[in-house]
Amino acid sequence: MNALSVAFKDILILLRDRGQIIMLFLVPMIFILAFSAAFSLGEEMEEQVIVVPVVNLDPGGEMSTLLLENLNRDRGIQTEDYGQAEAEAALNDQTASMLIIIPANFTADVKAGSQTELRLMYGPEASDSEVEAVRLVVEGVAADLSLETQLVEGLSRMGAMMSDAPPEVQVFTAERIRIQAEGQFERGKTAPLVSLTSKWPDQITQGRADFSASSLSVAGFAVMFAFLAAQITASSIFDEKKEGTFRRLLAAPLGKPQLLIGKMLPNFVIAIMQMVILVAASILLLPLMGQEAPSLGNSPLGLVLVTILVALCSTSLGILLAAIARTESQVGGMSTLFLWVAGLVGGAFIPAFVLGDFLNTIGKVVPHYWAIQAYTDLMVRGQGVADILPELGILAGFAAVFFVIGLLRFRFD
Amino acid sequence: MSEPILVAQDLKKSFGDLEAVKGISLQIARGEVFGLLGPNGAGKTTTISMLTGLLEPTGGQITVDGLELESHTNEVKAKMGLVPQELALYLTLSARQNLMFFGRIYGLKGKELRQRVDEVLEMIGLSERANDPVKEYSGGMKRRVNIGAGLLHKPEVLFLDEPTVGVDPQSRNAIFESVEALNRAGMSVIYTTHYMEEAQRLCHRVAIVDEGTLIALDTPTALIRSLGGGVVIIGIAEGAPEELTDRIAQVPAVRSAIRSDGELKIETQRLQEGLMGALDITNQLDVRITSLEILEPNLESVFLNLTGKKLRQ
Repeated sequence: MNALSVAFKDILILLRDRGQIIMLFLVPMIFILAFSAAFSLGEEMEEQVIVVPVVNLDPGGEMSTLLLENLNRDRGIQTEDYGQAEAEAALNDQTASMLIIIPANFTADVKAGSQTELRLMYGPEASDSEVEAVRLVVEGVAADLSLETQLVEGLSRMGAMMSDAPPEVQVFTAERIRIQAEGQFERGKTAPLVSLTSKWPDQITQGRADFSASSLSVAGFAVMFAFLAAQITASSIFDEKKEGTFRRLLAAPLGKPQLLIGKMLPNFVIAIMQMVILVAASILLLPLMGQEAPSLGNSPLGLVLVTILVALCSTSLGILLAAIARTESQVGGMSTLFLWVAGLVGGAFIPAFVLGDFLNTIGKVVPHYWAIQAYTDLMVRGQGVADILPELGILAGFAAVFFVIGLLRFRFD
Repeated sequence: MSEPILVAQDLKKSFGDLEAVKGISLQIARGEVFGLLGPNGAGKTTTISMLTGLLEPTGGQITVDGLELESHTNEVKAKMGLVPQELALYLTLSARQNLMFFGRIYGLKGKELRQRVDEVLEMIGLSERANDPVKEYSGGMKRRVNIGAGLLHKPEVLFLDEPTVGVDPQSRNAIFESVEALNRAGMSVIYTTHYMEEAQRLCHRVAIVDEGTLIALDTPTALIRSLGGGVVIIGIAEGAPEELTDRIAQVPAVRSAIRSDGELKIETQRLQEGLMGALDITNQLDVRITSLEILEPNLESVFLNLTGKKLRQ
């Protein structure tokens, strides 16, 4: 009861502080709107047509012609025929950033069911995003082509065998043909006839496949600003000590655990309110700005669990900051470090898969990273609680470590 | 002395190698206003912190109304009220919100809480402005709310820690009147200050603390009487003869004379006679006087006489 009185009083004080309210709710919303808009712009820019030189060493071949037709079919790529020497010169003098080489026996190899290789070459000036975009398109078209060819080939063989046999002994019934087609399809998936030699890091392809500007922004900034509540808790404890009210509370018949719980409760409540308000406001406001509303995924329970653990991490961090900081400015400094730097490396501003290996590895030492990963799994990839158990465990671990260290080092005097 | 409400026995507190309180024993009677005097750093605040349960003593025992503080912490705390030296208030909240909060943490609720808050607002004269944020109040008004917050639960013992620091004369008088009214209503008050005139006016008994030790404990009148007619401190130049001290001690109006570090401290029965006698003897012995200080009989002089230090150092 006394803990609730302390918590109620702190919330009352917070509600009178317009600056804090703006920082807690309005600033993250502005970040979400701005970054969602920026990421959406990036997506639109990626839809621009990329001109790619092609050296076709199988000119007039049925399969190479089909490949080029498919590449140019509304996939954001426009091919241009080059001679080999001319293309390599263009690559060297940087008038072209990449080129595709179709091998000489492409049609024959594909038709014969032999493996063949398309080559994607790029120069030093090639932008990573363009190379990746072209690679994905070529890989997709090549896979379709080999699958289609294998299916047609297999079915043609069965058709020929059926036509030679008398009706009473025909063994290739409709059922057998279906089984054969499925087998060909599976083989085409696992062993494509046409392969690409270039390869991009896995995290890029994964990220690109799962990208959702609004969901990532909401998850990132809601997590980042949830940790602002920790600063408010630590500052509130410091203010109480400075003003003498902490001493007055300790002189009251109020146990130290009740006092600490009373100081922690508002942080917990605020962090949860922040998440709920930011998600709700994003769902309402982003479509009004012509952007996609964030998805809530398929697991409300998962969202609740992650939100509770983020709030617990933030709350425990507040106690830890109050325990280890010796001055008010140290609270400010450490909180800034945790809010902005940990937010950055944890993937709040820019998705972790874009940050590169180094920052991505550093990011794993902050709770933000795991919270954002969990939200992304739930909201963007549509996964469930079972899929985010590792993230939930790690967040619970962070909360426990922050709390235990904070409690051990907390000074009531 | 009537039955004690608070008993402290051999209280000690150390911070590392520093011994802040070196074994203080006190008994506060019910309905008594008890002054705890001493200069800054004497150990007053540490003693108060131990008596109110804020600091755990390194040694000793505290009982309030027969209950041991260590084993009945919350019950004992409920019997005490603390008015800290700082303005321990939430400045963005109103006086009413502050009082409601402090009342709640002492277990008051509902109608009883609202009624007590109204009574205290009336007592501190802030009913009219009860809903204004405390930050908009004058210094004296804030001090009154600070005291009010310690009274809501009607404590049996009220600790007032330097309540008049930085207060204008008018508010200071209002605080004195409040303390006297509370005491008339039966409340025991422990009042720390380094203003002697406050202790002389308000306190039934006074304890003087210096360097963590209790150096005197009595009524203000008895402590002042112990100075006799007053004390004269004469600075003497090097080479004064040894017989000087003995001859001054034999002057009829002089109680005692002690010589140390180039000074002669003379306690008198009658100040004027004693002073004149001492000056005659210094003339006869041709002793050069380098300084002369006369301590009128009051608590300030008692402290100076006991410690060689001024209270406001």
